[in-house]
Amino acid sequence: MAKVQVLNVAVLDNPSPFGNPFQFEITFECMEDLPEDLEWKIIYVGSAESEEYDQVLDSVLVGPVPAGRHMFVFQADAPNTGLIPESDAVGVTVVLITCTYRGQEFIRIGYYVNNEYTDPELRENPPVKPNYTQLQRNILASNPRVTRFHINWEATLDKMEDSENVDPAPNTMLPPTSMPSKAPPLGLMPDNSMDCL
Amino acid sequence: MKLLKPSWVNHNGKPIFSVDIHPDGTKFATGGQGEDSGKVVIWNMAPVLREEDEKNENIPKLLCQMDNHLACVNCVRWSNNGLYLASGGDDKLVMVWKRAAFIGPSTVFGSSSKLANVEQWRCVMILRNHTGDVMDVAWSPHDVWLASCSVDNTIVIWNARKFPEIVMTLKGHTGLVKGLTWDPVGKYIASQADDHSLKVWRTMDWQMETNITKPFSECGGTTHVLRLSWSPDGQYLVSAHAMNNSGPTAQIIERDGWKTNMDFVGHRKAVTVVKFNPKIFKKKQKNGSTPKPSCPYCCCAVGSKDRSLSVWLTSLKRPLVVIHDLFDKSIMDITWTLNGLGLLVCSMDGTVAFLDFSQDELGDPLNEEEKNAIHQNIYGKSLAITMESHLSSTIIENPEMLKYQQERQGNQNPNGAQGSGPENQTPKLTNVLNGESLEDIRKNLLKKQVETRTADGRRRITPLWISHQRCSTASQSLQPTHLRTRTGKFTSVNSIGMKSNLLLTSASKMEPMKALDSRFTERSKATPGVTSVPLTIGITPLDRVKDSSSVKEPKVKDETSSDSEDKIMAKPLSMAKRKGEMEGAEVVEKRKKGRPRKDAKMMMPISQPFPQTPVSAEKEPSRLITPVAVLKLPTPSIQKSFSTQVSTDAIAYLEVENEVSVVSGARLSQLKWSRDGREWDTLLTSRITIATGSSDIVAVACEDRTLSVFTTCGRRLIPSIMLPAPLAALHCSGHFVMVLMASATLSVWDVQKQTALVKNESLNPILSGTDATVSQSFLTQQGVAVVSLSNGKTYCFNSSLETWNLIADKQDSLVQCADFRNCLTSQDALGSMGPLALTQGRNLSAGRLASRLSSTPHHLQQGMTLAFLENQLSSALMLLSASEYRHWLLIYARFLVNEGYEMRLRELCQDLLGPVHKSSSSSWEPTVLGLRKRDLLTEVLPVIGQNLRFQRLFTEYQDQLELLRLK
Repeated sequence: MAKVQVLNVAVLDNPSPFGNPFQFEITFECMEDLPEDLEWKIIYVGSAESEEYDQVLDSVLVGPVPAGRHMFVFQADAPNTGLIPESDAVGVTVVLITCTYRGQEFIRIGYYVNNEYTDPELRENPPVKPNYTQLQRNILASNPRVTRFHINWEATLDKMEDSENVDPAPNTMLPPTSMPSKAPPLGLMPDNSMDCL
Repeated sequence: MKLLKPSWVNHNGKPIFSVDIHPDGTKFATGGQGEDSGKVVIWNMAPVLREEDEKNENIPKLLCQMDNHLACVNCVRWSNNGLYLASGGDDKLVMVWKRAAFIGPSTVFGSSSKLANVEQWRCVMILRNHTGDVMDVAWSPHDVWLASCSVDNTIVIWNARKFPEIVMTLKGHTGLVKGLTWDPVGKYIASQADDHSLKVWRTMDWQMETNITKPFSECGGTTHVLRLSWSPDGQYLVSAHAMNNSGPTAQIIERDGWKTNMDFVGHRKAVTVVKFNPKIFKKKQKNGSTPKPSCPYCCCAVGSKDRSLSVWLTSLKRPLVVIHDLFDKSIMDITWTLNGLGLLVCSMDGTVAFLDFSQDELGDPLNEEEKNAIHQNIYGKSLAITMESHLSSTIIENPEMLKYQQERQGNQNPNGAQGSGPENQTPKLTNVLNGESLEDIRKNLLKKQVETRTADGRRRITPLWISHQRCSTASQSLQPTHLRTRTGKFTSVNSIGMKSNLLLTSASKMEPMKALDSRFTERSKATPGVTSVPLTIGITPLDRVKDSSSVKEPKVKDETSSDSEDKIMAKPLSMAKRKGEMEGAEVVEKRKKGRPRKDAKMMMPISQPFPQTPVSAEKEPSRLITPVAVLKLPTPSIQKSFSTQVSTDAIAYLEVENEVSVVSGARLSQLKWSRDGREWDTLLTSRITIATGSSDIVAVACEDRTLSVFTTCGRRLIPSIMLPAPLAALHCSGHFVMVLMASATLSVWDVQKQTALVKNESLNPILSGTDATVSQSFLTQQGVAVVSLSNGKTYCFNSSLETWNLIADKQDSLVQCADFRNCLTSQDALGSMGPLALTQGRNLSAGRLASRLSSTPHHLQQGMTLAFLENQLSSALMLLSASEYRHWLLIYARFLVNEGYEMRLRELCQDLLGPVHKSSSSSWEPTVLGLRKRDLLTEVLPVIGQNLRFQRLFTEYQDQLELLRLK
């Protein structure tokens, strides 16, 4: 069974202006001491149409994790507006929090995010080019969608046991160099999105 | 009969594979498939039983749901005492759940239902052994064992007292094992498998008693489960799927000779589950009619793949009732209420049905006493009793035994009352971590949390540790003294009912929503952004259109229940440990000085070391004199003057002043002794290196390798003894003098009897092969020489065996792993004073690692503890330390009693009792170390009396002892 159970995610600073950093207070419980760190990511879905517009807002390592209940606040900068299709800037999208252990994703928490203008005038007649300074981000905190994946929690030895859960696609179709790398290419990852405004 | 299908009992339409009613009848558990995991749900029974409770919204229906199982849950079973729930699933695991008290409602994060868990059940043990799906689990009578069976063809018997210890793995089935049932008497366990066999195994030796294949040879096809059942009187075992004349049946197997002459016929498809009513019934006495004796009978429910349920009474030839079309799919499990009148059935179609019978229909259930009487009649003493140490139904046969049992209960109760006291108070002082409330911490968590950068520049957050993982008493046995505090207040606010104030008007927004929905479940194969895999639309069924139009504007309220546990408890633990290590280090440091001393406190140099003569220069001549003997041990340096305290009943002081005066070329040294104002002094012609004394004598060693012995009045007892080598250490105790020479030889004399107990015995046997040096040596009151080495080993020399015996070893893993703390009483903590305690350190490190080793199999630890205790016992014997012998004997006896080592206990008692009738050939010694063995036995017997299991043993020795006393 999963060694880490997410007990709660509280969405802080919500609703907030579009440019504010995301803040999630994550509470999780761990069954036994973890020898390796957990890796958490916040992924902003720029467009529902394509994964191409997904932005990893930030990824952090969380550790050490002894058995017990823990909490931390995961703060990540707002998405790089330059990478969001203009047509998808306003409206409903998704922000995902994922956690991986030993490179395997075991939980995915999704929230609907509604971006809208606070000014009724703008709401009625939205500008063609989105005005991000006027946008308000509202995360539907009450309705998280949680997907759990069955992963191999132990060290390499019995890796085969859970092999059916690992999608073969990345192994067969991608050259070894583009295997899930630790750091996503810089071009797509905003180092600091504040200056993008 | 009333029939009810509570529609609210469901797993959101997913199959329910198992159902079990809690022994107290207030709740029941279901197990089955969850959204993307296995699911165990605990439900309230009251709304099933009473319609008004079902309508009352204040009465919760769902008590707790657990989605910890990674795959479908095939079986849920409550322990007979109701404290635990065991679940087995397709993830190959058996989980044992326990209710965590003091934790308030909380939701399962992200679950679609917003219903809070009213009760908190936590997984306290994960039992991993099976290599395939676990199909059935069963608790033995009195919860001694838990059995699980699996598609890996094995049955594992777990020790329910010492999880995760495995008692036995039963191998023999050649197909998937799909059902288990214990004999209510405790003698057998039966299993049914896909290999067309039903096997009965003995619990005595875990061997197969019988293998029944005939009724199953025709069985074709497979059923998901084969839950068989044993009748409450133990007389009949009823199988699941069997065939008779190509018709599906439930085979009845008689306990007597395992005959298979009868079966339950009528189902059109395979029988999946059979469940006996826990009660035995007798005919309802009709008012007015004359009571006529009627034979008690059992009641049995049979569920089948044909979706129908039949209920049978063993007194009738026809079924009592058959219910067709109750479900859309196969029946998976049946459970009876403890009163025998209610019945819950679950089905693969994801629904549950409740049947309520009246006593008119089933008969009068026998009460427990009558049921026991039936067992008693058929089986004599129920075998379950011998396996259970404290059974309420065990008859106490001996008045003495009764006394001890009552004392024992009396002792337990105040403890229990004490224990509950502080725990009740804790909720009030909750919520505080290091003086800060959790709420405060949460406000500042972002600022406070430790964030670092890894070498490759990545952010790394150290999470705030807010509580222990286990909220139940699972680990309390290891840390009984630690209080667990929990929050009593909960700030949880469910955001139910927050109305949306925003409506999406654009219908075109619906399409992206589908796409977005899929993101929730789709796993990122690689880091998003890298892959440009086209998004597959509609992976998840889109029943969430509602969601899209109900994007709410939630007021941010913290949903977390701020249950926290006190963090502090971990600290003292580590502190204590560190302290222990510090002490250890200190001891080692002291010894490294290389100077053997009796006790650090006894030597108090009052002046500086003699400056003129370097130590090495002093040693040179002696090395020339004894070229053969290699100097292995350091000799003490000569001091100008020093004084020593001789600890006897009254404290005496020995003062030495070297070279007080020079008389005609000879340097004289003075030895002064004083006690309570009385004092004497004497002069010696050589410089004194060591002076020591006991309550009876004073011994002085001089530079010229002479040893002088005086009485405490200053009279010389024997002329100077010429030592073969310079002296390394000198000890006195009583009339005994022990010298340890630099040549690593040992001598011990009894100066009163003027005999040598140990004569120039070499330390080579213990020193050779190690770099160790002598770190400590002393002489016991009984004249046993003890030498401790720097490698942590301590030896004593036994003069009758003429051997060195290892009595203590600091590195010994036995010492560190032995866990006998539950055998210690409060007096014992003080009682262990003596040479053995001195060598092993007063705070014996025994068991220090024991708690950490909790994961090691219990039988291993049991063995280590046993070996350790036996070592202690024999060491105390070797050291002639009577009080310690008695101390360890009692601990040993308690351990044997607790762990049930009957043979050893018997041997121990036999040795202590000795032959009842005197015979000249007997070599039995009535005393050991001056203690009368039979007195020891009278001390041991009450210990034995605390375990009912040994009441025969107790009675046997109690009677013999009484007999001897009368003689």
